[in-house]
Amino acid sequence: MAFLTVEDQATKGRVIGRMVIGLIIALVFLIPYVVMFLGSVKTKEEILSYDSQFLPRDGWQWQNYTEMWSTPETPLPFNMISTIVISVAATLLVLLVAMPAAYYTARFRFPGRMAFMALVILTQMLQPAILATGLFKQMLFFGITDTWLAMILINAAFNLAFATWMMHSFFAAVPKEVDEAAQLDGAGKFRTLFKVNLPLVWPGIVTAVIFTFVSAWNEFAASLVILSTAENQPLSVALTKFIGQYATSWQFVFAVSIVSIIPVVILFFFIEKRLIGGLTAGSVK
Amino acid sequence: MMKKSWRTGALAVGAVGALALSSCGFSGGSGDSNTSSAAEDGASSGAAAENVSLNMLVPTYSDTKTSVDGVGTKARWEKVVADFQAKNPNIKITLQVESWENLETVLKTKIQGDQAPDIYNGGAISGFVADDLLAKADEITSPETLANFQDTFNDNEKVGGTQYGLPLLASDRALFYNKTLLKEAGISEVPKTWDELLSAAKAIKEKTGNPGYGMPLGSEEAQAEAMLWSLGAGGNFGNESEITIDTPQNLEAFNEMKTFIDAGVTQSNPGSTQRTPMMSGFVQGKMGFVYALPPTVAQIKKENPDLDYGIAQPATKDGSAVTLGVADRLASFSKDQAKKDAVKKFMDYFFSDDVYVPFIKGESFLPTTKTGAEAMSSDETLKPFLDLLPNAKFYPTTNPAWAATDGALKSLTGGIEKNPAEDVLKQIQAKADAAS
Amino acid sequence: MTITPAPAPGKVPKRRRALNGEGFMQALPWLAPAIVLILVVVVFPAGYMIFNSLRKISQSGLDKGWAVPGKKDPDWGIFSNFAHIFSDPNLPRILWNSLVWVVVVVAFTVLISLVLAQFLSKPFPGRRIVRMAVVIPWAASVVMTTTVFYYSLDPNYGPFNLLLERLGLVGSEGIGFTKDPALALGAAMVVAVFVSLPFTIYTLLAGVQSVPADTIEAAKMDGAGKLRTYFSVVLPQLRGSLAVAVLINIINVFNNLPILKVMTGDLPGYESDTLMTYIFKVMQDDQRIDWASALSVLNFAIVAVIVLIYVRIVKPLKEV
Repeated sequence: MAFLTVEDQATKGRVIGRMVIGLIIALVFLIPYVVMFLGSVKTKEEILSYDSQFLPRDGWQWQNYTEMWSTPETPLPFNMISTIVISVAATLLVLLVAMPAAYYTARFRFPGRMAFMALVILTQMLQPAILATGLFKQMLFFGITDTWLAMILINAAFNLAFATWMMHSFFAAVPKEVDEAAQLDGAGKFRTLFKVNLPLVWPGIVTAVIFTFVSAWNEFAASLVILSTAENQPLSVALTKFIGQYATSWQFVFAVSIVSIIPVVILFFFIEKRLIGGLTAGSVK
Repeated sequence: MMKKSWRTGALAVGAVGALALSSCGFSGGSGDSNTSSAAEDGASSGAAAENVSLNMLVPTYSDTKTSVDGVGTKARWEKVVADFQAKNPNIKITLQVESWENLETVLKTKIQGDQAPDIYNGGAISGFVADDLLAKADEITSPETLANFQDTFNDNEKVGGTQYGLPLLASDRALFYNKTLLKEAGISEVPKTWDELLSAAKAIKEKTGNPGYGMPLGSEEAQAEAMLWSLGAGGNFGNESEITIDTPQNLEAFNEMKTFIDAGVTQSNPGSTQRTPMMSGFVQGKMGFVYALPPTVAQIKKENPDLDYGIAQPATKDGSAVTLGVADRLASFSKDQAKKDAVKKFMDYFFSDDVYVPFIKGESFLPTTKTGAEAMSSDETLKPFLDLLPNAKFYPTTNPAWAATDGALKSLTGGIEKNPAEDVLKQIQAKADAAS
Repeated sequence: MTITPAPAPGKVPKRRRALNGEGFMQALPWLAPAIVLILVVVVFPAGYMIFNSLRKISQSGLDKGWAVPGKKDPDWGIFSNFAHIFSDPNLPRILWNSLVWVVVVVAFTVLISLVLAQFLSKPFPGRRIVRMAVVIPWAASVVMTTTVFYYSLDPNYGPFNLLLERLGLVGSEGIGFTKDPALALGAAMVVAVFVSLPFTIYTLLAGVQSVPADTIEAAKMDGAGKLRTYFSVVLPQLRGSLAVAVLINIINVFNNLPILKVMTGDLPGYESDTLMTYIFKVMQDDQRIDWASALSVLNFAIVAVIVLIYVRIVKPLKEV
């Protein structure tokens, strides 16, 4: 990848300056997770020690990362699978549902357009922690408590707002002429959306995908009451199983937290290119 | 062109596939709720043909790493359940374990969805009794099991003369002191009165620099600390019919706590100190005195076996022996007879010494049964607590307003660090009155 | 493979239509999935919350009929739960806290994000790594990030206090950041900004990336300075994503529970509570689901009003 592009004729000094600032920014954002990581390789006693050190004093407890998968407290491999299934499915569902709505509302004026967008944003304003009981009763009515499906629907519904509004703002930024040209060529609305618009709004879609995925990944309040079988519960609920009445195995809480960050970072790693992709896509035509 | 339409298709297929897949989830206990209530007749005789499913909701006391025997609450219950099911193949128990913090949220949601557990382990249950949700104790245990509980614990489970809960395990508080720090401060006598405790704590603070007395008034367990001081002044928090927080005795107790705070002998910020982290300070030898309970002994054994400490009766205004006792309970929300009978079988099985005593030992609590107490009387670590038990007073858990009072004590007691004790007591009393 | 929309009533003619000015029925197939999802999942629990706010609910959670006035509360009939919360002496303080909380957190989040998004759009070696680092607070659960901050700030064993101690700034007793209302609220704000940054940065970054390079080039050719280019070319292009980012931030920060619950959870009383943490305390400590529901309805109404005002002023939907 070329770092010195036409639009930014940076001098060597400026580039180094940016690297230094970049490094500082990265460090600031990483520090809490370094603390978390160091905690995850300490013993339980050391984490709460009054004579604490920054680095593990009693040796690096790497076995925390192996032991945590097989503690009787929670079936962690299953929790991982449940979290992945719920988050991936909820994200796909959101895309499937939000994209057509975002496109249409951004492109066409019709009666009820504002009402629809208001309805969507209303869902964002509700706090799932307060609605948990209502959601439980409802899923009971559908007969799907303690299933992934229930949590997929809930996560999708409560994250619809951001995806719709975000993609709406990106579709709206695509010049109308692009659509008109495509339609003149005889493309239907769906073709116009997928073939012409989609490549131009990748950054918006990526942001929506990450947003939805991350909030589904970390959802807690509804999962806690709706999923009762330990295997079905996501990592966010599994974490709490290490919290006892008078003592907590913080080393496991921290280790599980570190591990639960990784899949999101991997997703991000693969999807981030699309953000950059927007740079060129935006200048096409 | 081709590539893009493939992508679109994959998106759709993927989503549909995920949805189809996700409708199942890992098989769990759902669907148990429709166990027929037609089981009413013929169920009492334990006819083996009738299959019964029970739901069980319990909190985590300890985990693999924190329990004294390396087992942990969940694995402990799993073993009890598995052994019980092996003996009673027609009864299936679905166990759900949650942290204490989440327990009541999960329970209340289940109650509102009419899915309340058949076996529940928790704190105060008077609110559920008031709503007529619980099965009576004699419906879920045999008379023999019921009679085997110590009378004080049974009495503590009675609301309006009827017993609902079965006392599962108990604890009482004792004054833990760090012998090393006491020696350094030149204290030879373990304090029995408030004045002695104050001067001992002062000496430790001055001579060793460590906090003399650990006072956790944060939301985690402020009610326990408050109750201990209240008992020390001859006060209490009320009984089954009324909650009494704003009383002269409690005012005296709260003012004494303020005296300790103002004298600077406690750790810093006592009003917002949580119990668990503070206790780890004592375990590490950084504190003169704290009130603690049997699991603390296990914690010291595990985390700092070298700690030279002693256990004594709580300090009171006049030196008389009194302490705070706490018992957690098992209760049942079962409605139909078949389930109640199955619960009865489970309770009789669980509270038999062979099952019950190892359970209690593993969790480092005190037994509530007479035969269990005998079996454990030789246990050296529990002896100081067993000796104090006759002097134990309990929270008024049988009062329906207790739950809200408990909440108010948790969230407001710490206020005495900065506000007059009178005001704090009045606020808590107002919350209690609003709930009764 | 082509996907065809469900046939709309009235059948969309093949001929080209004006891009603007369609009927609702033609829009419906595009909106239906979203509407169905909302109807199926959100409407009932939202309605249940409102219903509960008008009922008397026992501490076990059982419905005991219409709300009745409390002993010291004015009688507002079935709105008695609202009568209680509006006569609650803690309410003004809590509303004020909520307001300060939202304004401070969102303002700092947006300002810092604008700067960082601009910076991260510049090319330099290792940019990808910095971008990955920035996303981590987003990937981590808010509860756990907050817990780590809470742990780090502990006066006895927290690494941050240890650092201050090593630097000679404090004694071995440390500073109880989470033990004092002002400090705890301040620390909570720092955490809230910290966890809101990645989302906001990325939303803005997506916007920055969509600014056509030749537009910026053109501005430069015209001799516009860097700042002027930013304010006259880049910022207007960001308007759409910025508007949405601020909107979502306002809502999420206002509704945030875990950060304040962890950071200010040790403190007695209600001095540092926001509406959200207060709702939680009423539900868990006072065991009043009905009052908590009334507070939740109030919370929802306040957010809705803020959003309405925001949408009126900022007009994030102005395009089309």
